[in-house]
Amino acid sequence: MTSPNNPMIMEEVEDPIANSTEVFKIAASRQYAGYDYSQQGRFVPPDMMQPQQPYTGQIFQPTQAYTPAAPQPFYGNSFEDEPPLLEELGINFDHIWQKTLTVLHPLKEVDGSIMNETDLAGPMIFCLAFGATLLLAGKIQFGYVYGISAIGCLGMFCLLNLMSMTGVSFGCVASVLGYCLLPMILLSSFAVIFSLQGMLGIILTAGIIGWCSFSASKIFISALAMERQQLLVAYPCALLYGVFALISVF
Amino acid sequence: MATAAMAYGSSIASHGKDMVNKELHRFVSVNKLKYFFAVDTAYVAKKLGLLVFPYTHQNWEVQYNRDVPLPPRQDLNAPDLYIPTMAFITYVLLAGMALGIQKRFSPEVLGLCASTALVWMVIEVLALLLGLYLATVRSELSTFHLLAYSGYKYVGMILSVLTGLLFGSDGYYVALAWTSSALMYFIVRSLRTAALSPDSMGGPSSQQRVQLYLTLGAAAFQPLIIYWLTFHLVR
Repeated sequence: MTSPNNPMIMEEVEDPIANSTEVFKIAASRQYAGYDYSQQGRFVPPDMMQPQQPYTGQIFQPTQAYTPAAPQPFYGNSFEDEPPLLEELGINFDHIWQKTLTVLHPLKEVDGSIMNETDLAGPMIFCLAFGATLLLAGKIQFGYVYGISAIGCLGMFCLLNLMSMTGVSFGCVASVLGYCLLPMILLSSFAVIFSLQGMLGIILTAGIIGWCSFSASKIFISALAMERQQLLVAYPCALLYGVFALISVF
Repeated sequence: MATAAMAYGSSIASHGKDMVNKELHRFVSVNKLKYFFAVDTAYVAKKLGLLVFPYTHQNWEVQYNRDVPLPPRQDLNAPDLYIPTMAFITYVLLAGMALGIQKRFSPEVLGLCASTALVWMVIEVLALLLGLYLATVRSELSTFHLLAYSGYKYVGMILSVLTGLLFGSDGYYVALAWTSSALMYFIVRSLRTAALSPDSMGGPSSQQRVQLYLTLGAAAFQPLIIYWLTFHLVR
């Protein structure tokens, strides 16, 4: 990792976290007379290759203790000091509601940062609601819903990782696909009252599948910055939601 | 206490993910695979049109950029794996639907259909690899290229099954004949230029003849397999 000329200088930078701790150790061992640890900004020695993900110098300040990403209050032993249950579980109803609104307005512009926090609580609620509406129609098929969503998420995850420049995490894929299941709940609750096997049912099913896959592909495109590939992403989503629609119609 | 448990759980998850990644990278080079998925909507539309009607296309050469083949986004003749994968999944779902219409559906049949198609594809790719190896053909065709070219027949299969479902048995045979001839023409034209790498100009003529026979054999195999995998859906 260090060049033969100067053992202090790193040649190749791959992992910023490991690299930062490594450089921190090296920096701590430097005997610079007037080195100012409180210097902000990027710690880049002049003849080091530019790392792919530049990191700030904040982590090298010995005065600032390393805090975890989500600061949590210190859990005292007393019962009153514990945070509320929902906050501890990370379920935030306000965020869930905002993301739901994003899905429900397919023609509105969406920004890519909306899916940065992968939260699976919303999709869980929607899957259970979908299973509940199927139950109301007399079909006890929770197992199929679970299996199909698992296989579909896995397939979408592999496909999106291959098709996009930046990778995507599995939680993000599962979260987006779960949120866009919401119109399918409308379809299956409609199937409780009317039968969907006529011409009107076919048109309604096709419309709802299009709506789900359009909003899912819109979110994926903006989150992963994939250009001119929206229809290509929408087609596998349409296949997945088509299978869900098959369950609710037949 | 809860944070310690969460940290332990997430460390186990990341350890498992690393293990999966390592095993995967031993078998499949993800970067080479990414080349086949670098597609956009215009390419897919034009390629589908080409698969159905290849007779007017003039230039079948794969374009290179300093010895590196251009990705499918920029070159219509480059093979891709997006269309074969989507076509395969669509074919399996369509087979399920066709059997459902004939009241012969059950989830096991879906798995049977999928695995039959997969096995035939594997056999075809292995046979082509064996043929290329025996004929000592120096070509740039890797396994993924062969997988792509043998996966293009699923588009023809889907079209045949759809026309069979909409227009009955006669429509099925007409669509079968059309897509088979289009696919044979497509495969012969593409593989003839792809089997010859850019530096070698073919070598001895007997080798060229063997390559030609191989290409013709691969092309002639396509209609047979299309018929075999779809006729039971359009009873």
